[in-house]
Amino acid sequence: DYEPTIFYPKRSPDPLYRDFTTQCEKMDIPFLSYLPTEVQLINDAYNAVVDAVLGAEAEVAEGTEPCAAILATLKHIRIPIVSLDVPSGWDAEAGGSGGISPDVLVSLAAPKECARRFLGRQHFVAGRFLPYDVQRKFELNPPEYPGTECVVAL
Amino acid sequence: QEEAQAIDQELFTEYKFSVDQLMELAGLSCATAIAKAYPPSSFTTSQPAVLVVCGPGNNGGDGLVCARHLKMFGYQPTVYYPKRPSKPLFEGLTTQCKKMDIPFLPEFPAEAAFIDELYGLVVDAIFGFSFKGAVREPFGSILSTLERVTVPIASIDIPSGWDVEKGKADGLQPDMLISLTAPKKAAMHFTGRYHFLGGRFVPPALQEKYALNLPAYPSTDCVLQLT
Repeated sequence: DYEPTIFYPKRSPDPLYRDFTTQCEKMDIPFLSYLPTEVQLINDAYNAVVDAVLGAEAEVAEGTEPCAAILATLKHIRIPIVSLDVPSGWDAEAGGSGGISPDVLVSLAAPKECARRFLGRQHFVAGRFLPYDVQRKFELNPPEYPGTECVVAL
Repeated sequence: QEEAQAIDQELFTEYKFSVDQLMELAGLSCATAIAKAYPPSSFTTSQPAVLVVCGPGNNGGDGLVCARHLKMFGYQPTVYYPKRPSKPLFEGLTTQCKKMDIPFLPEFPAEAAFIDELYGLVVDAIFGFSFKGAVREPFGSILSTLERVTVPIASIDIPSGWDVEKGKADGLQPDMLISLTAPKKAAMHFTGRYHFLGGRFVPPALQEKYALNLPAYPSTDCVLQLT
């Protein structure tokens, strides 16, 4: 029932991501051709932003365009940001001072070091797919997932 | 049956879904529906033991995914998978089950009574909506045994052995049916206690094109209880 709109400036040539893009397009999910730099436009048009810009493996990308401009804009919006795995622009271990401040963090598989610096409202972990021996091997000690839910609030 | 096959084709060729994506969502819906109808606490066996019987095609693949999620949900699944296609998709799913310590039986329990003793539920993932014609061994004997089992049977998409449109009055009578994407004609002949809809991935445009008239799924649930 949500009305998502996507901004995807640098498209991966990997068939997996190309297919995901096709699936979205065929579901009539619009793709913006540019991200407004005028923060008020974003605040007015949307109720929330999902930050799926940079994850745990991004080190170099942060300073390059268009990421830098996007992150600069996101720092100033008022509507809540939900970050996937690592708030974009944060160092995966040290965290980010002066970076974006998401309202909600969804850690994928297991929380990363930088999650300790997370100050937002809700922190979820989505890692119920991890086999038990992997959990044990990396001493992940995840909390119990309720019922058949695939996320759990920490 | 043709419509179901046409929808599938469109999902793969027009929408570019991969078989892995849809099979994972289908198997997850089956496990979720089972968890709602037969929670682990409802089992009379000492552990919530489930026997998952997987056939030679995609229905079997759905069963393998379902078994893995049942394990995550706290059940003790055991798989019987006599005819395994040598395709990476199925080999991958089998490995994932084995690495989660899900046992694979070397042979099918000889008698219905053994199944009733050891397991509280059987998942029928033998044949799906593409099934046509005669049942080949070993599935003929397996189905005969399953017809005599007294513990509940949950069938994925189509009760195995049934004609996909007309059903089979003297065939398997499962307690639960999980229809994937949309109920098939055979579902009209279903007389069990629980009918769930799963496979919450059909885009609205496709639902309209085929006039599926699916009821709304509750919030973010991947299953909907129809009866």
